[in-house]
Amino acid sequence: MAETITLEVPATLSALSTVRMVLGGIGDRLEFSYEEVDELRLATDELLQAALETERPERLTVSVEVGDGALRLTAGVFRTDDLRVQVGVTPGGCIDLCLLLRSLMDDVSVESAPDGYNVVLVKRGAGSGA
Amino acid sequence: MSPRDEKRVNDPLDLQAPPGQARAVQPEDDEPAPATPGSGADSKGRGRDDSEKLDQYLLRRYHLHGDRKAREQLITMYLPLVRSLARRYASRGEHFDDLVQVGAIGLIKAIDRFDLSRGVELTTYATPNIVGEIKRYFRDKGWSVRVPRGLQELNIRLNKVIDELVPKLQRSPTIKELAEAASATPEEVLEALETSQAYNSVSLQASPNGESGEEDAGLIDYLGGEEEAYDTMEDRTTLAPGFAKLDKRERYILHLRFFEGLTQSQIAERVGISQMHVSRLIRRSLEKLRDEIGDLDSPPAGHVADAGSR
Repeated sequence: MAETITLEVPATLSALSTVRMVLGGIGDRLEFSYEEVDELRLATDELLQAALETERPERLTVSVEVGDGALRLTAGVFRTDDLRVQVGVTPGGCIDLCLLLRSLMDDVSVESAPDGYNVVLVKRGAGSGA
Repeated sequence: MSPRDEKRVNDPLDLQAPPGQARAVQPEDDEPAPATPGSGADSKGRGRDDSEKLDQYLLRRYHLHGDRKAREQLITMYLPLVRSLARRYASRGEHFDDLVQVGAIGLIKAIDRFDLSRGVELTTYATPNIVGEIKRYFRDKGWSVRVPRGLQELNIRLNKVIDELVPKLQRSPTIKELAEAASATPEEVLEALETSQAYNSVSLQASPNGESGEEDAGLIDYLGGEEEAYDTMEDRTTLAPGFAKLDKRERYILHLRFFEGLTQSQIAERVGISQMHVSRLIRRSLEKLRDEIGDLDSPPAGHVADAGSR
């Protein structure tokens, strides 16, 4: 990954619009198709909205590593088990948010962080060969 | 009317619609059908594989042979996916069943537009279609922020351009390609795409000031329940059909305005939105009522309309 763009925004619905716009711009630079841009924005939006509802943080940090026709988005730091369960595959299967994220993104994972955990989403452009 | 025609008329999801790319219907397909998932003693261990094989088989049956029963079976198989996704949005003030219906339209579009050569799973392709349809439904319900006319027009233009470019390019166009074809800048295209998410800004789950915090109640908490007074009013003023067209928030605001006698400013303070927004909502609600009652000569409706501007 060549470069990193980090956004720290207030944890409000209106701030999510800023995140979506920036992601659209990054997707455009990566020459993602409009569908891929839409999927990226939708997945991130759903994750962050779920975070707003479960975590109720004051601010959200979204970091995007860009390069090779792909991007790796890290959102966090999150602390509640509730969000971790929603993102992960439960004994009942991959449903709801888990299903949505995995349908829209190429990779979804949870990474430990010093004060909790981050959710990592990876999106590769179809034309990237990445 | 043949049984097939009869079924089509009674089918709200139009399950019998012809496929976009279907060739002439073949009487038989030599390919053996995979086992239906869940049938058979050993299905537990290979349910997902079976399901994917069955998807592909049914999609081929439908797209290559015009087998409409295969289409129906796919719809039935994927309705649980629609329900799962609709459940995510059911807390935003719309009936779950309505969202399932809307999501099912997205599923049907995905099945109809599925490209066998893309090599993706139907779940992957259908999910954004289903979610997109549900979000469009919210947007069309008028919960979106007011979108500038220029962006609205660009949105319309983009939809047309996308329909033209996808078959031409045999793939989804990039933002730059869309911008070029729509005579806009990439930034304007992104802004137009953003408007499709606009309903978020007034999500009923959001607190009135758009902030999150435990002490903040969501807009949905400000909505009234069923009011007996509505029945009385409907009976008295023949507005029942019109009221049925209003959503909970519109009814609540009309209730505050015309039953509790609050001014627009007081309603704005109570609901946590601007007075201008209250004014717009009242005007829009009254327009809906007028449209619904049509040519009926109804003095009470006129009275209501006059009172709204106070």
